[in-house]
Amino acid sequence: MTAKRRRFVRDNGLTLAFGMAFLLALTGQAFAGHAEFNNELAADGLAPIGLAAYLASSEFAVDVTENWQSEYLQFFLFILGTVWLLQRGSPESKEIDEAGPESDKEQRVGQYARADSPHWARTRDWRQTVYSRSLGLLMGGLFLLSWFAQAVAGSAAYNEQRLRQLQRPMGWGEYVLGADFWSRSLQNWQSELLAVASMAIFSVYLRQRGSPESKPVGTPHGATGVES
Amino acid sequence: MSGSGRGLLLWAFLLAVSTVACGTADERRDAADAATTRFEAAVRDGDAVAMCRALAPGTRTEVELSGEATCAESVLGEELPYAGAVRTVDVFGRQARVVLQHDTVFLSQFPEGWKVVAAGCRPQHAQPYRCTVKGS
Repeated sequence: MTAKRRRFVRDNGLTLAFGMAFLLALTGQAFAGHAEFNNELAADGLAPIGLAAYLASSEFAVDVTENWQSEYLQFFLFILGTVWLLQRGSPESKEIDEAGPESDKEQRVGQYARADSPHWARTRDWRQTVYSRSLGLLMGGLFLLSWFAQAVAGSAAYNEQRLRQLQRPMGWGEYVLGADFWSRSLQNWQSELLAVASMAIFSVYLRQRGSPESKPVGTPHGATGVES
Repeated sequence: MSGSGRGLLLWAFLLAVSTVACGTADERRDAADAATTRFEAAVRDGDAVAMCRALAPGTRTEVELSGEATCAESVLGEELPYAGAVRTVDVFGRQARVVLQHDTVFLSQFPEGWKVVAAGCRPQHAQPYRCTVKGS
């Protein structure tokens, strides 16, 4: 490995490691989901399908996107919620008197931008407005896209299941107002919201040495907005 | 490969997948329609062998069990009515419902083509269709 490549891996280790772990987990989900789907087909006396057909199926698509939407919703809410909501003692929170979007000076935008600030942070028009909210916009956009994909794929997968059970198919509007869509959505949302609430409060009292998600080990419980 | 090259490749892949997916949806609808038309022609002609050939394996087995004879000997005893022309075809994945003038038929895709899973089906309020012929 060249020095340049080693440096690239070191500089991007977090993204690379989690990106590769994501691909491995998705591959595992594909194989396990394929086997489970064929078990269901066999129980109904129907023909099994190949892995490629399963990967192109609405069944696989809805199982993937229902988890994606909830993850992006979690980050969207976390990013937006932490602008205004505080948790005394948590490294995930700003200090108690800093609630809100903060001043231009604190955010280093417009006339307070520095030479190394991103270009759109230095502007004073719509570009600064958009760039100031770009992370939340991206996460919110990805949430809406993946939730819509869940609704489309979920409708098709649910109707395929209904036809196997000799029931009439449902229209898309009926599906998105129905139990399957909301059960899939809410069961994912509740777990993501629990994780955020747990992280906010546990990080007040517990530490993980060396992690930027934790306060330094010796920091008092009451210290807010302190990260390693 | 450059970043833009990888991006182009990804978009080409997504376009190919969506084209294949959309293309096969119409093909599957036509194939389910054709299989139903063949089945109904066999019902109209009283061709028991052709009717059994159009049935899914599990449905054929149920016909044999209920008639305590071969499928061809039993299927005419099910008294399936001739259902007339196809009115609507709904296909989701590898399952289909075909509504005809006087009947509703459910089909599933098998390696050898679409097969009738249930026929002689009547809708029931908030419950599955009640079918004269169906698998276990």
